[in-house]
Amino acid sequence: MITLTIDGRKVEAKKGETILQAARRAGLYIPTMCYLTKVKPIASCRLCVVEVEGADGFILSCQAPALDGMEVRTNSPELFSHRQNIMKLYDVNHPLECGVCDKSGACDLQNKTLEFGVDTQEFSARDHKRDLRKWQFIGYDESLCILCEKCVHVCNEVIGDDAIEIHYGGYNSRIQPKGTEELECTNCGECIAVCPVGAMISTDFQYKANAWELEKIPATCAHCSAGCALNYERKYEGALEKNEPKIYRVTNEFEFSTLCGAGRFGYDFENRVAGRDEAAFKKALEAFRKADTIRFTSRITNEEAMILQRLKEKYGYRLVNKDAGNYRKFLEAYATMSGKSLFNGSLESLADADGIIVLGTRILTDNPAVRYHITMASKRHNARVVYMHPMEDEEMKNVVTQFVKYEVGTEEGVLALLAKTMLEGKIDVKKIEGFLKDLDEGYLSAESNVGEEELEAVKTSLARCRRIALVVGEDCINHPRATQIARLAALFERFGGISVLPVAPKTNSLGVALICDLDDESEGYTIGYNTPGDFVLSSLGEGDLDMPALNQQEGTFTTLNKRVVPTNVALPFKGYVLNDIANALGVEAEFTIDYTERLPKEKGFEAVRFDDIPYYFSNSEGEVRGYELRRLKHGVDSSLEDIAELPEFNGPILYRCDPVLQFGPQTYRASQLEGEEPVLYGAQQFAVAAKLQEGMRVRVNVGGVEMERVFKIDPTLKGTIALNPTFDLGLSEDLLSSNYRYSQSKIEVVGQANE
Amino acid sequence: MSLEQFKDRNVAQNYTFIPVDEPPVEPLDKFKQVVKRTFKGELFVGLWVVFREMVRFNIHTVKYPMEKLPISPRYRAVHKLYRLLESGNERCIGCGLCEKICIANCIRMDTRYDENQRKEVTEYTINLGRCIFCGYCAEVCPELAIVHGQRYENASEQRAHFVLRDDILTPLDFLKEGKQEEFDGFGAVSPNADERIKKTPTAY
Repeated sequence: MITLTIDGRKVEAKKGETILQAARRAGLYIPTMCYLTKVKPIASCRLCVVEVEGADGFILSCQAPALDGMEVRTNSPELFSHRQNIMKLYDVNHPLECGVCDKSGACDLQNKTLEFGVDTQEFSARDHKRDLRKWQFIGYDESLCILCEKCVHVCNEVIGDDAIEIHYGGYNSRIQPKGTEELECTNCGECIAVCPVGAMISTDFQYKANAWELEKIPATCAHCSAGCALNYERKYEGALEKNEPKIYRVTNEFEFSTLCGAGRFGYDFENRVAGRDEAAFKKALEAFRKADTIRFTSRITNEEAMILQRLKEKYGYRLVNKDAGNYRKFLEAYATMSGKSLFNGSLESLADADGIIVLGTRILTDNPAVRYHITMASKRHNARVVYMHPMEDEEMKNVVTQFVKYEVGTEEGVLALLAKTMLEGKIDVKKIEGFLKDLDEGYLSAESNVGEEELEAVKTSLARCRRIALVVGEDCINHPRATQIARLAALFERFGGISVLPVAPKTNSLGVALICDLDDESEGYTIGYNTPGDFVLSSLGEGDLDMPALNQQEGTFTTLNKRVVPTNVALPFKGYVLNDIANALGVEAEFTIDYTERLPKEKGFEAVRFDDIPYYFSNSEGEVRGYELRRLKHGVDSSLEDIAELPEFNGPILYRCDPVLQFGPQTYRASQLEGEEPVLYGAQQFAVAAKLQEGMRVRVNVGGVEMERVFKIDPTLKGTIALNPTFDLGLSEDLLSSNYRYSQSKIEVVGQANE
Repeated sequence: MSLEQFKDRNVAQNYTFIPVDEPPVEPLDKFKQVVKRTFKGELFVGLWVVFREMVRFNIHTVKYPMEKLPISPRYRAVHKLYRLLESGNERCIGCGLCEKICIANCIRMDTRYDENQRKEVTEYTINLGRCIFCGYCAEVCPELAIVHGQRYENASEQRAHFVLRDDILTPLDFLKEGKQEEFDGFGAVSPNADERIKKTPTAY
């Protein structure tokens, strides 16, 4: 630790920390305009200057490292006038349209202009015509831009899209799409979030409400298993409407957390009901009395899962949840090899890694948060990223250092080969050593198409890395040989000191897997909760009894990061909730959140009341949200099965994969995302193999669910695998969620797209 | 002006003090005062004055519903929404400051991004049933778009009538006839506003 003095106060700093970081952690204020905690110092605003005893001139506190015994002054008349001048320069020709600007009230430029008392202007410049640009979700008003470069850096260093850049030209400088005419990116909207002025704006939100009118409801994103922190911002629905609130936008604490486009733009998936439908409720109770099975998805809270588990204990229902069931089996198998009840990886360890292997997931669309952490690792630590998948992902090429293509279905073999490459010599258990020694490398290499040189390249590439992370995706979790794959993945944790992160397929797959005692198959009369069934409880508004959507509920989620995080009610729900049904059936609790402290301790949960779960952000601690699950000891079984014969997939293959911004029926309900057309994207090669042409309307049958798609050729794709989305299938989406993602389905042409 | 002077509220007002006798203390004196006041016949003097004026038809009261007294421009009655004199567009830019400052929470508005890339106010309501006519909205309005009018009669049979925007917005024909009078009451620009403005330099 280093001790320095800032404004006469002794402040402790870690080695390598900057003066600004040390000051902020100690709660001391240094004004900044362009500083963003999660990216490298941008140093474009020069507002963070400080005086250091013994040094000439001003020093940029965002870049200068804190040194032992340093004496820093953050304020003096000279500094004040320097900063005031900077603000005056920012204000030159800045349009005086605060009255209509979306940022007004939450604007850094407004705040700092007032803070430094800019009441006169001595500077001037001749202005010229500045453009107003609008892309699908994002708009850019050049005249409002102060060129702090936060958006460019966050896009490059955190998101990884690298879609925007600065067009340098003195006073003509502006932000522009990089390399393209129009903005082509994953539409995460993080540039909107970090913009200190109203230059980058959400086109949907623009001019709809003001920052100060909106009430912020801190919650957790309900779309994928990353469970990112977000604020639902709500206001009354319309001036003449009744007093019901409506969500106007979603924001995030962008200094510390990141949000993807689905979270930011897909927020109004609520299920609005007029009131309590007593007749439907009675029918629901009847259905529960005669039901044998409750089938549900993982898009529920931990508390609801707990209620279902209690109902099972009382009435002996079969609880069926296919994707969580697969994940549970994967984790159980994993635990028998790793010796711990949970995996060791986390998003933080991922961002901190200097070597990353991604296996069996199209991570860009499967889990944007994981992708952002990979990007951060790549940009901060120059991490080597090995991306192993049957399909190359064009948009990941900014961070991927090596792409390893393997044949569909051979994940088991690939992981075994990888284990042999990475772990040989590190394993001290005879049985496993023997297993790796006896691997039939020739066969595995031939079948999986992963050559020895490629593995050797992976090995050399990662040889110098000290903190390696392995991301295991849904292809492995829903693989027919998932248990064996899990045990192979656990070898990396146990012997390689590698942090392994299996990406949970849905919002609360981990929570459900831990809380519910799941059965394999449905039997008899089935109640479906957001899935098809004989009686359907649905938060999508298409069932027999309406349930609240996840933005209308309070409760907790268990994220893939092994954290239990709280979410709050953004919009009221007037109907019945699952707890009402449980109460009527004799499983009693006043509120759903009463179950939060009753979550099973033997699985690693803590007995914390819902209201006591922390949710805040601070300069010293960053994001403090929820608590981490405890990893418990688990019995170890070191025997490994032989590698099964690797399957062969020939001809055109469909890969279940939703496009960016879509995560299933929930996002598809959101007003900004509902327009998306389900398109089957394939390469030219796929079109030839499947005898399709661009623009054809096709009918495919995957796992018994029929769907119609428009086929389009995506020139960035290669091979005979096409991306088949399932977000538009409503309740039926769940029927496919646990299948192996690749399938060879019959594709039938039914017409043309425009028919 | 010094603070002392500022606090002296008797400036420029020539008050004269009316000599008032000490009130009686003794019971006898009190009794005498009552008798004196009762039988002095002042009551009849007053009645006579009323009768005399009635006969002369020299009436000084205002016949209220038919006649109304002129009121000060600073009077704060039912609001008006003004239009721009030339274009006839609404002055309101939808900044939301009135909504924010309203302490009775009775102003609401809806805005949107319109076809001309401007912020358009699609709905604007003031719940006059809740409004306390404090005048903050008019004072805060940067565009002099919302002002206080002088229509103080706002009884109605329905609460819904208290919120209509069309009632307070200057009608277009009214504007064309030049009947929208510039407001110089609460929140209006001060007479010497021009002198007080510092101009932004333009070096070119």
